[in-house]
Amino acid sequence: MKSKMLLLWLFILSLNLGCKKAYNPPAVTAPSSYLVVEGVINGNSDSTIIKLSRTVNLSQNTKSKTETNAKLSVEDVSGNIYALKEASSGRYTCAPLNLDSTKKYRLHIQTNNGKTYFSDYVQFTPTPAIDSIGYHITSNGLQIYANTHDPKNNTRYYRWDFVETWRFHSKYQSVSITNGTDIVPRRPDQMIYYCFGSDVSNNIILGSTEKLQQDVIYQNPITTIVSTSEKIEIKYSILLKQYALTKDAYLYWQNLKKNTEQLGSIFDAQPSTSSGNIHNAADPTEPVIGFISATNVKSKRIFISNDALPPSWQPAYPYNCGTDSVFVNYNGRNQVALFLIPIGSASIPIYPFYYPGSTARPDGYISSTISCTDCTIRGTTKQPVFWK
Amino acid sequence: MKKCYFVFFLLILIKVAFAQQPAKTFSVNFHEVKIEQFVAELESKSSYHFYYNPAQFDSLKVTLEVANVPLQTILEQSFRNTSFHYAIVGQQVFLTKGRELQTTLAAGFFKGKAGDVSHETIPIVDYANDQDKKIPEATTENKLYEIGIKTNEIKPGTATLAGYVKDIKSGEAVIGASIKVVDSKIGIATDQFGYYSLTLPRGRQTLSIRGLGMRDTRRQILLYSNGKLNIEMQEQITSLKEVKISAEKVANVRSGELGVNRLDIKAIKQVPAVFGEADVLRVILTLPGVQSVGEATTGFNVRGGAADQNLILLNDATIYNPAHFFGFFSAFNPDIVKDVQLYKSSIPEKYGGRLSSVLDVTDREGNKKNFTGSAGIGLLTSRFNIEGPIVKDKTSFIFGGRTTYSDWLLKLLPEDYKHSQASFYDLNLDISHQINERNNIYITSYLSNDKFKLNSDTAYAYSNTNVNIKWKHNFSNRFYSVFTAGNDHYQYNTSSSDNPVNAYKLGFDINQTNFKADFTYYVNPKNTVDFGLSSILYKLNPGDFEPNGSKSLVVPDVVSAERALESALYLGDKYDITPDLLVSFGLRYSLYNYLGPQTVNYYAPNLPRESVNLIDSTTYKKNQVINTYHGPEIRASVRYNLGDNSSIKAGYNTLRQYIHLLSNTTAISPTDVWKLSDPNIKPQYGDQVSLGLYHNAKANTIELSVEVYYKRLKDYLDYKSGATLVLNHHVETDVINTQGKAYGAEFLLRKTAGKLNGWMSYTYSRTFLKQDDPNAGDLINKGNYYPANFDKPHSFNFTGNYRLSHRFSVSLNATYSTGRPITLPIAKYQYAGAERVYYSDRNQYRIPDYFRSDFSMNIEGNHKVHQRTHNSFTIGVYNLTGRQNAYSTYFTSEGGAINGYQLSIFARPIPFINYNIRF
Repeated sequence: MKSKMLLLWLFILSLNLGCKKAYNPPAVTAPSSYLVVEGVINGNSDSTIIKLSRTVNLSQNTKSKTETNAKLSVEDVSGNIYALKEASSGRYTCAPLNLDSTKKYRLHIQTNNGKTYFSDYVQFTPTPAIDSIGYHITSNGLQIYANTHDPKNNTRYYRWDFVETWRFHSKYQSVSITNGTDIVPRRPDQMIYYCFGSDVSNNIILGSTEKLQQDVIYQNPITTIVSTSEKIEIKYSILLKQYALTKDAYLYWQNLKKNTEQLGSIFDAQPSTSSGNIHNAADPTEPVIGFISATNVKSKRIFISNDALPPSWQPAYPYNCGTDSVFVNYNGRNQVALFLIPIGSASIPIYPFYYPGSTARPDGYISSTISCTDCTIRGTTKQPVFWK
Repeated sequence: MKKCYFVFFLLILIKVAFAQQPAKTFSVNFHEVKIEQFVAELESKSSYHFYYNPAQFDSLKVTLEVANVPLQTILEQSFRNTSFHYAIVGQQVFLTKGRELQTTLAAGFFKGKAGDVSHETIPIVDYANDQDKKIPEATTENKLYEIGIKTNEIKPGTATLAGYVKDIKSGEAVIGASIKVVDSKIGIATDQFGYYSLTLPRGRQTLSIRGLGMRDTRRQILLYSNGKLNIEMQEQITSLKEVKISAEKVANVRSGELGVNRLDIKAIKQVPAVFGEADVLRVILTLPGVQSVGEATTGFNVRGGAADQNLILLNDATIYNPAHFFGFFSAFNPDIVKDVQLYKSSIPEKYGGRLSSVLDVTDREGNKKNFTGSAGIGLLTSRFNIEGPIVKDKTSFIFGGRTTYSDWLLKLLPEDYKHSQASFYDLNLDISHQINERNNIYITSYLSNDKFKLNSDTAYAYSNTNVNIKWKHNFSNRFYSVFTAGNDHYQYNTSSSDNPVNAYKLGFDINQTNFKADFTYYVNPKNTVDFGLSSILYKLNPGDFEPNGSKSLVVPDVVSAERALESALYLGDKYDITPDLLVSFGLRYSLYNYLGPQTVNYYAPNLPRESVNLIDSTTYKKNQVINTYHGPEIRASVRYNLGDNSSIKAGYNTLRQYIHLLSNTTAISPTDVWKLSDPNIKPQYGDQVSLGLYHNAKANTIELSVEVYYKRLKDYLDYKSGATLVLNHHVETDVINTQGKAYGAEFLLRKTAGKLNGWMSYTYSRTFLKQDDPNAGDLINKGNYYPANFDKPHSFNFTGNYRLSHRFSVSLNATYSTGRPITLPIAKYQYAGAERVYYSDRNQYRIPDYFRSDFSMNIEGNHKVHQRTHNSFTIGVYNLTGRQNAYSTYFTSEGGAINGYQLSIFARPIPFINYNIRF
């Protein structure tokens, strides 16, 4: 259908009959801002982290706005209250909770504007451990998967998210640096060739064993890394977190995935937004986004080294790179002083060069752009504590 | 059976003598003797002389043994139960076949005493004229046609007159012509074959005959008894005058039907169309209660029904995809189509199987007298048609074809898309044959084919194939039948061969074999009964995914074929209780069997129908009845006349639909699949009450009508979010039964005669759906009512034609409607690591309102009747104001912000020209 429409559209355009113009229905610019609640009531030794934010208009450039100064607490049916504190803007945490796996829990939110929200009471669903994380080498990349199982056949519904970290390098290894007045050799702590990149999962990953006789998740796809990705050019690590879900929670996440992992157009299936399990105590019709589950999150980390991958896989550098020769004396102009020495220059010296026979002072520097020399624009040089 | 003849008068004067003769007796012993021997024997034993025609008696064999009986007894016994008669006059014996010779003078010949007149009807025969007489072709207005078996005294009471109304030039049937007895309220309209049957008082009558595009005419008749009269009418040659939307000028007021619109092709051709080609379906969209699915599609919604709830018939064959070329053109060739009838409310009981409407497209019959044809050239398409007699006045054919040459347009595209292709053609071939006065055969066939290809990658093709044979048999003037058998086929396939490893072919097809028998019985002038039965055998291949080429690694995936039998019996009765009150009641009983071979999944009751809850899966053998749905459908209406020019009507209808279109786009797209009802997917059910007020003014040239309706839908299929519809082996887990309600008011003002004619309609209508099935899982809009995709509350249409001269006329068409509802993302947020959008409740917003106006000029060549060819031009502009109507809206993420765009089709005025030639 889509391609039919595409062809139709091309046909229309070819005749110059049709037109495309900006469309801002009044609704898109004037919804109220809805509360978004993300997080899990965590029953293990990790802290519970709940993030509060508000929806923003589609046309706004900000991605979201955080909801600050709210009072949050986890409550159980027998009246125990565990308060959360705002650790950073919109991020509320509390010390590890020792939750009773037979009890039901809920989240209580009091926002800064005085409104009270409760999640439904949710049954604590224990998460089984991740058995293993593995990968397949496919023709176009790395397919990472997870295995888990619940010997009691109780869990059935799973969700995962992950944090991935990788070591990578920039295109050119710069050994020279400006100090504002001159170009000097880089000290080891000034090296910007190797960095660590990190990202979090941005797709909703779900699995279910509802159709299976046993509660066994076998090789559930987690993420795919294309063979030309920098993530696997040296070493890659993934920290996978596994969450057990109730059936309701699973349906919520599934619906959210179907409806939000593509943007709306009327040629797609009709979208719909399902309501989560958080409600305004005074006005149950107010939309609140999010679904609160209570579980003990399990996590596992693996490393994948480039040695284990096919040698034919070559990283594609994300930027077009080339080098320039910058001369100290170019027809009487000192290009080095002009383009390389000022702090914040767009070009970074890579290494010096000398005319034949001349060794005292460099006659110029091979240079390139920041994006081709400085890995810190996409990562950090600081090695994470878990890295090995 | 005794034939009725229309005869000349012959007076036989014979001296009455035999009564005085003494009776002579005979003894005979015949065994299988022929007439010659029989006569010779009797003549030899007496002085009687026999007169007879030996050829007429060659079939007679007499076996008789009697002794001492008079001649009368011998003849009586010999001819008993045969069509032979005798008359004895003196010594002369006349043997006749078929009719008796009257040997006495007609009663009343001598004007006996007052009150002595016998009313016994004694037929008077013309024995001299022995051939089968032709039914008179009544072509002259001033001649008195004598009908029936002539009697010298016309018996009081009524008799039935029947026959065909035909075009004198082409011999084609005139459908919907009204035949009215002058100075009385008796009248009837011809049926789809031009046939009529009218019961009227005997004696001298004047019939007034009016037909669509025909010159009004009269016939003088002297009706003795039941008889036949074929009426030939002349075409009204005055150009562009014939925008007669209703065949019968009073039909909208007098008929018992509600929500029925008929358009003939002349009215259709007058409406400006994009690219200048007259388009049947696009004109249908200007009628009240009909909404367009979108600008470049021919899908339509009738009174809040989905696009798949319209039964689209071409000569009784079901057309599954009535669109060509992405929906720019409808599949019906305007040169072949005769007229179009749309039933929105009073759906006759002979139709069934869809919930919302029946669109009945009828082709013309070929010219039975001369070869004629026409050709047309437009910007994108050309068409040609030819028709003529195969056997003059008996058998005729009509052939029409259309094709496109749009590839030149696609060649103008940028390099990336240059290799795109799009083409279509359609062919019609219809043959009609008159076997004799009582039997007619009609064969109609249709083939359409569409292909398009996007930049030599995915190729799409779809095609309709329909063949139908119809036999019309008249049992008598008042009772006739039509038997129809046919096969309808629709298929599409998509294929890709660009990547040899991924190359695939995906096919879908549906085949239905139909049989129908329809009977109509005019019991008396007040009462008409229709009854019949129909049966459809469906064979449907839901999807067949195959590798394309030897290098392809595609794993074949075939969704098993489905079979079902849909049958119906119906009975309907139209009864005039008083001249003002007409009641029409129909009952249709439909029966649906889902047949094996099939494997059916069963799900746990009271749980969401999802794969998790699958409890059993049963395999059935071929032709095993897996399950059956059945039920009555009611089609009832009442009309009451409020004076000569006004009436009020009310109706109630129920319908069942056993086949569903699976589509989560709003239009009918070539890649949508159909699904038969099965144990998990219930048939759709709908009912409707409607009420209408009709008024005609200014000698029936202005028609006004107001209709209101309320409709309920049950078990209409809607889809879960993210449903997979193609190649889904268990579609039932992806669909949700939806309930709906629709209501509205339709206003129509139509002017059918004069220099300015056309129609204007305003419709207020709402359509809501809701999902209240507790087992459906997450419900759309929490189970509350939401507007359907095609809910457009206000819509206004104007279609007008102004005739400046006989050769020049201008047409204007204007359309306004509320924008279609859409579901919009209304906010965005960060969640689970990504930016996500928050959608409004389903269909809570609308795209901007739609407005379009089109203009065209029709220029005809000279109007000399006798010339080799007739030419005409149509020049016009589509979307005169160039308004950029939103066809769709979509959202895309650009630089961190989500931006909305609206897409318009035909966003500027589009000029067109079309040249037509008729020969």
